[in-house]
Amino acid sequence: MGELLKVSRIHKYYGMDGNVTKAIQDISFSVHEGEFVGIMGASGSGKTTLLNCISTIDTVTSGHIYLNGTDITEIKEKELARFRRENLGFIFQDFNLLDTLTISENIALALTINNVSPDQIDRRVQAMAERLGIADILEKYPYQVSGGQKQRCACARAIINQPRLILADEPTGALDSHSSQILLSMIRSINEELSATVLMVTHDAFSASYAKRILFLRDGTIFAEILKGDDSREPFFERIIKILTMMGSGVSDVR
Amino acid sequence: MYARLALRNIRRSLRDYIIYFVTTTLVAALMYSFLALGFSPNVISMSENMSMLTSGILILSVLIAFVTSFVIGYAIRFMLEQRKKELATYELMGMEVKTVCRLFLAESTAIGGCAFLLGSLIGTGLSSLLNQLVRNIFGFPHSYQVVFFSQAWAITLLSFALMYGVGMLRAVKVIRRRKVVDLLYDSHRNEGYSFRSIRWHILCVLISIAAMAVGAALLAELVHIQSNRAWLYLGGACLLILAGVYELHRQVPFLLYQFAKRDPYRKYRGENLFLLGQIGRRIQSTGRTMAIVAILLTVSLATLFVGLTMGAGYRANMEAYYPYDVGVAIDAPLSTDSMEPVISFVQDRCAVEDSVVFYLYSVPDVPVEALSLSDYNHLRQILGLPLVSMDDDEFLIHCDTWRSMKEIQKALEREPEITLTSQTLHAAQTPIMTEPMEQYQMAGTKGFVLVVPDKVAKQLLASKIRLAIKLENDGYPKLKGELQGFLKSDEWRPEVQTGYELPERVTFGVTVKAWGIANSLTGFTTISFCGLYLSIIFIILSCTVLAFEQLSAIDKNQKNYRVIDRLGVSSQRRVALIRKELSTVFFIPLLLPILLTVMLVFGAQIFFREAILQEGLVLLCGLITIVVFCVIYFTYFGATLFLFKRGILRQGTE
Ligand SMILES: Nc1ncnc2c1ncn2[C@@H]1O[C@H](COP(=O)(O)OP(=O)(O)OP(=O)(O)O)[C@@H](O)[C@H]1O
Ligand SMILES: [Mg+2]
Repeated sequence: MGELLKVSRIHKYYGMDGNVTKAIQDISFSVHEGEFVGIMGASGSGKTTLLNCISTIDTVTSGHIYLNGTDITEIKEKELARFRRENLGFIFQDFNLLDTLTISENIALALTINNVSPDQIDRRVQAMAERLGIADILEKYPYQVSGGQKQRCACARAIINQPRLILADEPTGALDSHSSQILLSMIRSINEELSATVLMVTHDAFSASYAKRILFLRDGTIFAEILKGDDSREPFFERIIKILTMMGSGVSDVR
Repeated sequence: MYARLALRNIRRSLRDYIIYFVTTTLVAALMYSFLALGFSPNVISMSENMSMLTSGILILSVLIAFVTSFVIGYAIRFMLEQRKKELATYELMGMEVKTVCRLFLAESTAIGGCAFLLGSLIGTGLSSLLNQLVRNIFGFPHSYQVVFFSQAWAITLLSFALMYGVGMLRAVKVIRRRKVVDLLYDSHRNEGYSFRSIRWHILCVLISIAAMAVGAALLAELVHIQSNRAWLYLGGACLLILAGVYELHRQVPFLLYQFAKRDPYRKYRGENLFLLGQIGRRIQSTGRTMAIVAILLTVSLATLFVGLTMGAGYRANMEAYYPYDVGVAIDAPLSTDSMEPVISFVQDRCAVEDSVVFYLYSVPDVPVEALSLSDYNHLRQILGLPLVSMDDDEFLIHCDTWRSMKEIQKALEREPEITLTSQTLHAAQTPIMTEPMEQYQMAGTKGFVLVVPDKVAKQLLASKIRLAIKLENDGYPKLKGELQGFLKSDEWRPEVQTGYELPERVTFGVTVKAWGIANSLTGFTTISFCGLYLSIIFIILSCTVLAFEQLSAIDKNQKNYRVIDRLGVSSQRRVALIRKELSTVFFIPLLLPILLTVMLVFGAQIFFREAILQEGLVLLCGLITIVVFCVIYFTYFGATLFLFKRGILRQGTE
């Protein structure tokens, strides 16, 4: 499988001279098509910043990010929007569903913005909802459904366009362990069956153990990187914990 | 320390305050300038009835203060809503509720005080302008001067303080009632979309349309009613129409929304889905406000238009109402000699160019008076109209009141011949003359008169005497009072014609053109200026309410627009969406007010075209109404769009 994402020596500084926060310092890595990569690190280590740079919501101070050979740090603002809607799928920590629309309309929104022909939309939304087990709440509004269902809706919205890259920022942050588990298996099955590439930021080792590769960040740099390899989830989980302890970070949420 | 805190707050929440500030300033300015106009000795002395203007403006000021206090209360509540977190933080930091209230009070008073001062400053300039306008109307020479009217200022200050007090009281109540918890966390209010069945909505729409139709029918009926019942009709019509406006504005947006959502092609095209969602929420949350704004706008547009038209119509008809320089009408069979002293009385004061003493003859069995052809022609000559001629067996009807015209035409068609004192008369070639010459029952007491050959007239009863005088100059307004005094005094000893008896009660009327014109101008000024005053302030208040509704939606919108940013909608498209959303909400309440105003304009054009003697005047007034309205409305729209866009995009890029 080819290389989908290549991050090359990026830096991200916030603030003016004198009071600069170095959120990311010289990070490089690459992701192959169909990979499921987890990103871990303590609070303030630069995870969200990294994801924002990749998702073109934020700009890098220096360095380059290539997606499928295109340098996304070089495209103009006008093309950025297009790039985002054609290549990326987001799952946010706080769902970010529109409370003005029903669940099905929220999912359809991603399609309409991509100018998908209207007669296909209902069918595709229905199919996706069935896959994620939210077909029976399609006509409800976000405030009428549970957090887990909302997150699955957000997930459906992110993947319905079959983006090349799915970016998830702590998707299980607001969920109980059971709902997290359902969602994570869902993401994994999307990753496996649809061969979507997933980049997932997470705080907790349990969620991370669903990934096939994990990058550990500390103070804006990559501290370590582990591969799941042929391990099953439990030993992989142990290895993650080990690294986290090694990093001495205050990760307390070890389930 | 609190003063400094308050000052800092103001700077921080400038966005919220700006529209509030502009509105209060404008209201203060308008209030002060119109009151100053009403109290200006300069203006009051222009004609004897000018106190009409003063009382009109005073009464309207009370009404305006009342309505404004609601809007101020609304605005303060809105600003509180925006800053409830901040206020709650103060409370958490240990400030007492009392202190928080005092803080807010200090802040609002500072803003209100500034607005009032700036407003009275602008108002001073504006009042001089209005003063000048009135002087122009009365044809007084220009004399631009800036005068400060302490009386008007005091009244403005008083109503301002009252308006503020009421608004503030409500705000303080809101703070007191709120718990810190509610202030800190937005209670998750259900934003349910409780749409009822389409059929129910359609039924409501039909009922409202029916109500409005009945209202319009009552209005149309009103034109033919002269009695006090007219007020009943007017009230009923207004109530029905306004109720219809309200209900339609509640229902139509729902229906449009449902309709737009129905067709998947429309719904799923481009960003329509997002826009529909945004608008759906607005309809849900601000539907009632928009409907109330629609009512306010309907009232103000109608007032503006009616005020302008009536005022201008008054002015245009002035010449027609007062065709004679001096006219005396006495409903008694006096001798022609009795009128000689009256003519000399006038002659002593103004040079008389021409005069005519004539009778209105009673026609047996028919409630109409007759005029002899020679007298009629003499009157026409005085008025500078071409003389008419007709054969000895002909008659014509002079009617310059459009109200009776149709009936007369019908009657003439039915019986083109009449028999008087055993002579049969035919209708003349032009059987109806319409030039204005009726003025205070000079030519007929019903608004029309039969003109017959002299020979025929001589055989009728000469029951009412009239005198019309043409002066060399225009005369002066006071002449009317002097003449009335003379007629009532003992100096004048009228005699009855031989063979006639004096009726039990003699009514007499005196008209003087100079007085009439001054009076008409007063009426014109009063009606037009009161209409302007009321409607401009109402429009401003409506715009303010709308603007606040938009601004209070910013926070929620920010989130939604950020989501579509991430989903890949370019900033250009988002700005376009923001504009679309805002204009939809801003223009929904315009739907009916504009439609109704246009209908009113054309209705007035149809009904009153003949009554108002200046061609196209009604349409012109309609145009002015719409233009004035649009200027205010678009200004507020622009300002709101600016703030709205900035508010949404600012944090969207953070
Ligand atoms: N807009 C900003 N302006 C200034 N500094 C910022 C900004 N955003 C993030 N930072 C700083 O950059 C660093 C990395 O932040 P980032 O949000 O990427 O952390 P994170 O790993 O996502 O943390 P968490 O797990 O708490 O979400 C932090 O020190 C943060 O204070
Ligand atoms: Mg983060």
